[in-house]
Amino acid sequence: MTPFELLQPRTLREAIALLGEASARPFSGGTAVMLMMKAGVLRPSRLVSLRNLSLEKIEVGSDGALRVGAMATLRALEKSAAVRAGWPAITRTLRTLSNVRVRNVATIGGHLAHGDPHTDLPPLLCVLGATVTVAGKDGERRVPVEKLYAGYLETTLRPGDLITQVQIPPMGTRRAVYLKCTTRSADDWPAVGVAVVFEPEKEEFSLVVSAATDKPTRVASVEAVDALPIESDLHGSAAYKKQLVRVYLKRAMDEARKPAH
Amino acid sequence: MRSEVRFRLNGQPVSAQVAPHESLVEVLQEAFGLYGTRESCGQGLCGCCTVLVDGVAVSGCLQLATLVHDKEVLTVENGAALDPVQQAFIEAGAFQCGFCTPGFILMTRQLLDEHPDPNDDQIRHYLSGNLCRCAAYPEIIEAVKLAGRKRRKS
Amino acid sequence: MKRASQPTETPQVGRSIPRLESWLKVTGRAEYVHNLRLPGMLYGKIFRSSVSHGRIKSIDTAAARALAGVHSVVTAEEVRAIVPDPYYGPAFHDQPVLAVDKVRYVGEPVAVVLASDPHVAEEAVHLISAEYEELPAVYDEVEAMTSKAIVHDVLKPAGTFPDLKHLQGKKNTNLALDFRLRRGSPEAALRSAHRVFEHRFRTQQVMHTPLEPLVSVAESTEDSLTIHTASQSPSFVRIEIARLLGWAENRVRVRVPFLGGGFGAKLYIKLEALVSVLSLLSKRPVKISLTMEEQFFTITKHASTFRIKSGVDATGRIVARECEVWWNGGAYADIGPRVTQKSGFTAPGPYDIEHVAIDSYALYTNLPPAGALRGFGIPQLVWAYESHTDLIARELGMDPVKFRRQNLLREGRPQATGTVLRDAETGKVLDRLATLLEWDKPFEKGTGPLRRGRGIAVGFKACVSNTSSLASVSINADGSCTVYCSTVDMGQGSDTAMAQIAAEVLRVPAESVRVVHSDTDVTPFDMATLGSRSLFLMGNAVRLAAEDAVQKINQLRKELGLAPDVPVPDIFKKKFGMRAGNVMGTASFNPPYTPPDANGLTENATPFWMVGGTGVEIEVDTETGRVRITRLINVADVGTPINPKIVETQLSGASIMQLGFTLFEKMQFDAAGQLRNASLAEYKIPGFLDLPDEIVNEAVSAEQKTGPFGAKGVGESATFGLSPAVANAIQDAVGVRLTELPMNPEAVFVKMQDQ
Repeated sequence: MTPFELLQPRTLREAIALLGEASARPFSGGTAVMLMMKAGVLRPSRLVSLRNLSLEKIEVGSDGALRVGAMATLRALEKSAAVRAGWPAITRTLRTLSNVRVRNVATIGGHLAHGDPHTDLPPLLCVLGATVTVAGKDGERRVPVEKLYAGYLETTLRPGDLITQVQIPPMGTRRAVYLKCTTRSADDWPAVGVAVVFEPEKEEFSLVVSAATDKPTRVASVEAVDALPIESDLHGSAAYKKQLVRVYLKRAMDEARKPAH
Repeated sequence: MRSEVRFRLNGQPVSAQVAPHESLVEVLQEAFGLYGTRESCGQGLCGCCTVLVDGVAVSGCLQLATLVHDKEVLTVENGAALDPVQQAFIEAGAFQCGFCTPGFILMTRQLLDEHPDPNDDQIRHYLSGNLCRCAAYPEIIEAVKLAGRKRRKS
Repeated sequence: MKRASQPTETPQVGRSIPRLESWLKVTGRAEYVHNLRLPGMLYGKIFRSSVSHGRIKSIDTAAARALAGVHSVVTAEEVRAIVPDPYYGPAFHDQPVLAVDKVRYVGEPVAVVLASDPHVAEEAVHLISAEYEELPAVYDEVEAMTSKAIVHDVLKPAGTFPDLKHLQGKKNTNLALDFRLRRGSPEAALRSAHRVFEHRFRTQQVMHTPLEPLVSVAESTEDSLTIHTASQSPSFVRIEIARLLGWAENRVRVRVPFLGGGFGAKLYIKLEALVSVLSLLSKRPVKISLTMEEQFFTITKHASTFRIKSGVDATGRIVARECEVWWNGGAYADIGPRVTQKSGFTAPGPYDIEHVAIDSYALYTNLPPAGALRGFGIPQLVWAYESHTDLIARELGMDPVKFRRQNLLREGRPQATGTVLRDAETGKVLDRLATLLEWDKPFEKGTGPLRRGRGIAVGFKACVSNTSSLASVSINADGSCTVYCSTVDMGQGSDTAMAQIAAEVLRVPAESVRVVHSDTDVTPFDMATLGSRSLFLMGNAVRLAAEDAVQKINQLRKELGLAPDVPVPDIFKKKFGMRAGNVMGTASFNPPYTPPDANGLTENATPFWMVGGTGVEIEVDTETGRVRITRLINVADVGTPINPKIVETQLSGASIMQLGFTLFEKMQFDAAGQLRNASLAEYKIPGFLDLPDEIVNEAVSAEQKTGPFGAKGVGESATFGLSPAVANAIQDAVGVRLTELPMNPEAVFVKMQDQ
């Protein structure tokens, strides 16, 4: 690893200012950043820790929406009774997200900002219509999670931007299912991830595909999967991954149709 | 540029001079001569580097040592006598080469703290982030259940 | 057990005692070379080739040398100052300590940076650059036979192991060894056979990934060297390093504590020559500790292609079998030639076949070297012959178990080499598998998207020969006992087994025996800890050494005029005037062996056979091709177990490892020979969520009459049959036959689509 400066700001304003400099990289849990630095893919001269910014709160607002501070760990989210009660699909998804040690330190903000398509929460949050608050040099703005991703490991965040909160609308009568499949060992980065929401009152589905695509991608129907920009890689050929997407979308839709979700 | 990091290690206040890029595993080995925590895959996937920081299991190979300042760090070396988990691992023959064993011991303690009487499914999922190339997995499941019984007895 | 114990009449073998080193392993205090730090030590980090085949035009180390904190940068030029002829290897002296003139695979070590801070060394490696004149490369083992891309211009056979002495290196070829066996008249028999079947099978390159990555430390003086190394073959390391340096063997000391896994990766010379030379150059201790990623560029398992052809008569008897096996050895031979020959001669399988032809080829390619991996070529062979045998049975409309029973090679019958099968319970293993799988009962395969199937496979292995093990056993003045042997405990429980064997002879509790770890200054010669040989060979040596010690004690008793029931401490008091001293029993064990003749035939190919079989029930998700093993049955002939619990865990562990090789592990290269998945993030090994729902492990009732207390090795036996058992089960479930490993979901799915 190349030598770097480690900074631990105590306020959001301080953090944003520090990140304005070139080759400065934010991190919270640090798992993704450390991996990339050890692999030599990332060589920041400055690491800015976001751990002391007091952004961990998980709460349900009076409007019924879930508000999660960006520094809340995935483990805290997994164990939250409020989340289990109101958004059980999130709790279920977290159970097989990476491993316990990673979930103990990884934060939802870091998870979303990483931009890796082989992760589980982005497609689920997309299909749930979640939004994030992004704080930057020019102030705050709201961004739908769906608009956060530009491509493989590429987000629409600008240097100096930080996710500070995630908002998830109440489920209402909707039912959500996230399914993933791996093509090597059972515990592996997903080759395919599908997130589905079913609105029983309208008999309508919202479908989002990820992992096989380089960012979470909405599809109108199972038939539309053929047109998705899916490429062959270590997880499988494009044709096979499309087959998996179709199969898993159908399975997720069948699952979501069932009552008591 | 080294800086001093002060923390509690296995119940004792300690300090070390660490560089920003040094991982907790390196510091535990270099500065404190503790080798139960090991870097193997280097990617947080195998669990050989499991350490408890403020009561929470983390991958020591991905943990910057600087960031444990003022925190409580526990390794497998903590404790004078064998605890029920270690005893259960011995009785169940739940290790072969032993390289991954400390990580399993620490994770099993965490698992039993959260689920005192876990079923197979819970055990497999909780420990899915710990790898054993000798594949002592079936024996480890038995050891976890045995440890749970031992703990409940005492 | 801290106090010297009283004698005991309780049998010590056949006891499932906990491993002797249990406390050390559960407290994290077990010693591994991974942990070793010495004062003044330098860390070495390796700069590796980025091309798969090329002449080195230049290596630019200036920027690396200039980096603050770098001690030195070493290339082959500096190596040659210490070792003029810097080539090593157990079969061919073809592998350079650092690349000389040419690089032959992506990842080959070209230079080393030494620094006290490993991070600095790592940083400096990034500052090294090299220029290569690229040469045509070859990656496929069959293609390598006739390719114009020649990996080695000149070959130099090594004479270190007796069975490889006859190797003569050829020129302008990638063929390192060509093993040939002919028995009867196979061509004629095939021509006149009632029916002939021919198939082709392939396996992939995989890596052992022991969780303690390869690591060695060397410290030196002017004329002596101590190498602390994670090695399964300390005696060989000593011989080979002494040879490279031109030193007497007693100037080289090799120490091995516990290994954090071996599986065959930590054999012969891996990092030992490099750290030795670096220590002699720098006059400091030097440690090279590979990352998990670097292991993939160091040693792997042979990919293979196997063409197998059988002639069957009208009654379903196999009358002839023709085997042609191509082994992908990678860029350096390592122990590949032995795999080719010693496993090669079992290629027809455990079947009673009168006419046999085997041609087994060790090929060089421009890939990371292949060597020994648990099974030593047997799993690749069983993959082919048990798939082939199953296919024949189905073609003939015969039950696969019945067909195997009819053709099985049994006690007293000659194997393909002509060596008669003795103490190898092939029939018992097959029958027990069939019973445990309830083979004769109907099996519900299902009609929905999930289909079920079951399969069986049986394989066998000959213990490698000609090898020797020596041991010493000390009876100390207080009656406590110490075993000295160079067998390395890599998790297979050898310390415990040797203690139990010695204890059985010495009539003390096994827990009271101290087993001293490999140290070539102290522990006598052992061929190596590999191929499941140690329990039989070293076990016999330990038994004999213990008997020798007992005999010496009894002799002492007689000389001193003491009664047979006088306790040991009193003997020493009388002899030396105080309770001090010890009696050392020694022994060597080197079972007879007859090398094969020009047709590959011999009456004494091996001192013992291993038999291992697998039965599986599986579930196939026909929409995705994913295979799940619901029931896994491992049955083996391990003779009479010394420690039944450890035997069970060896069967289980081996099968789960083989499960990874069967269903998903694969080293994936691009068209330029670059490995794309060199890390546990992208090279996935089995974890908890891959376990079959149920695993049953059984050792059939058996006795290896020439083994220590009836025992023989077990470490590999459960690797033999798993892959073909799964393929056979897939055919049973969904009617398709896969002939290549791994059988990942896409491979299964595509096969189903093609039907």
